[in-house]
Amino acid sequence: MEHIIITQHLSFEYNTEEQTRQLVLKDINLRFEKGQFIGIIGHNGSGKSTLAKQFNALLLPTDGKVYVKGMDTKDTSHLWDIRQTAGLVFQNPDNQIVAAIVEEDVAFGPENLGIPPDEIRERVEYALKAVGMWEYKDYPPHMLSGGQKQRVAIAGIIAMKPECIILDEPTAMLDPIGRKEVISTIKKLNKEEGITVILITHFMEEVVEADRVIVMDDGKVVLDGTPKEVFKEVGLLKNIGLSVPQVTELAYQLKNEGFDIPSDILTVKEMVDFICR
Amino acid sequence: MFRNITIGQYVPGDSVVHKLDPRIKIIITFIFIIAIFFINKLSGYLFAVFYLWLIIAISKIPFSYILKGLRPVIVILLLTVSLNIFFTPGGTILYTVGPLRITTGGLRLALFMGLRLIFLIIGTSLLTLTTSPISLTDGIEHILKPFSSIGVPAHELAMMMTIALRFIPTLIEEAEKIMKAQMARGADFESGNIVKRAKGLVPLLVPLFISAFRRADELAIAMESRCYKGGQNRTRMKQLKTQPRDYAALAVTLIIVMLIVWNRSWTW
Ligand SMILES: Nc1ncnc2c1ncn2[C@@H]1O[C@H](COP(=O)(O)OP(=O)(O)O)[C@@H](O)[C@H]1O
Ligand SMILES: [Mg+2]
Repeated sequence: MEHIIITQHLSFEYNTEEQTRQLVLKDINLRFEKGQFIGIIGHNGSGKSTLAKQFNALLLPTDGKVYVKGMDTKDTSHLWDIRQTAGLVFQNPDNQIVAAIVEEDVAFGPENLGIPPDEIRERVEYALKAVGMWEYKDYPPHMLSGGQKQRVAIAGIIAMKPECIILDEPTAMLDPIGRKEVISTIKKLNKEEGITVILITHFMEEVVEADRVIVMDDGKVVLDGTPKEVFKEVGLLKNIGLSVPQVTELAYQLKNEGFDIPSDILTVKEMVDFICR
Repeated sequence: MFRNITIGQYVPGDSVVHKLDPRIKIIITFIFIIAIFFINKLSGYLFAVFYLWLIIAISKIPFSYILKGLRPVIVILLLTVSLNIFFTPGGTILYTVGPLRITTGGLRLALFMGLRLIFLIIGTSLLTLTTSPISLTDGIEHILKPFSSIGVPAHELAMMMTIALRFIPTLIEEAEKIMKAQMARGADFESGNIVKRAKGLVPLLVPLFISAFRRADELAIAMESRCYKGGQNRTRMKQLKTQPRDYAALAVTLIIVMLIVWNRSWTW
């Protein structure tokens, strides 16, 4: 199995003043398989954003190594290859759109890579179509909804032809409709374009269909497995301040009340299937 | 309060003037402004009037928009004209008020200075009325690019303008939101004298600045993660290509300039 990102004993601390300095990431060992949809969850301050920035060489390990497609992030000669291979989408769509016209913003990345104009045009068209925003190519970003802006931001990354997209809470600032748009776009990119997706999120429902879910707490990986394996641990998750999908919570409560019900029910459909079996 | 702020004064349209290459439009505007200062008799302004009329007619910009462009400079215009009327020696004295004399020379110079200012403003307004700020930015970047080897920050300037254009609407939106929030808590932005109003703006400006700095921080990180490394080795998707119409516009402008220069040797 090919790995797109590998971390080995990754530890990290921010360069703040001596007395407040503490490890934000602690001995993280992860291997991300190509083409997978991976969810990362964890409460505020658990180090998710810091980890995401490691994958893109925006931050470098204090200890240990991060390899993106075999390239060491500390090796500055690969910096731009790494950033092109692993694209990062941030929480606030407003603060990552650079240009005053949608298509020009999507062109920003490829322009930085020095790609010839004709090919940039092709890539912009492909990327905007992939996120369903082609009709809006001539719009100024401030005329778009939050979900649309976030899809434009995703297109801006797609246009660089990355093999992996890391999304750091891309739906946190969106309304439910925008959230749905963005999540279905990400899922489509993963299924149809084969792009590896690492989705950092607060919303458990967004990762129940993932291939793998990683739970972080206090800079460490505390759970790592399929959604069923992870969400089974309702007690542990609650202990570290996380909720589980509502249906799973219901199954958990029912089980506590003495009902004979499996604790790995993740979706309404599974619940309905179980009850009506 | 902010509703009536638009970026620039661009009036969208699809006339030939609108479609001209922004580089050509900027260059033509410069040529025209220089030509205005060559006019040395009233008859010369006929050519300038004809030229501006031609552009206005083709671009279908309503005349009221052009007058609107003159409004902010009316004070400067009046000041220039009156200074020239009262303080230019020469010519025959027409009228004396105390130490001030109105002379024919003064009137003549005042008239010319006034006309020059008016034509200069109309000429540049026509540029910004018919060119979107974005293509104006493109044009400026392309015109300055050859000079970047001697230290003109062409790419940086264009990037700054682009980011400003991108964020002005966002910041206006945010200012409105903060204002509403402060008004809901009893802040008063509308009454009192100037000092009081200026003080009232503090609770608006402080959060706005804090947020702007946070945005700038996040934007810088996002740009870096999208492989931005300044202007070197950077390509552009949008390439400017000159069309026959651009050369036609340049030719018309040069003909007008030649007529203006020829006019200098007329006797009236
Ligand atoms: N730029 C920074 N400088 C110093 N400390 C930081 C910085 N960014 C984040 N931290 C700290 O690192 C920890 C993890 O933060 P972060 O990675 O943002 O967590 P998450 O994204 O999971 O909410 C927090 O304790 C936070 O205070
Ligand atoms: Mg975060």
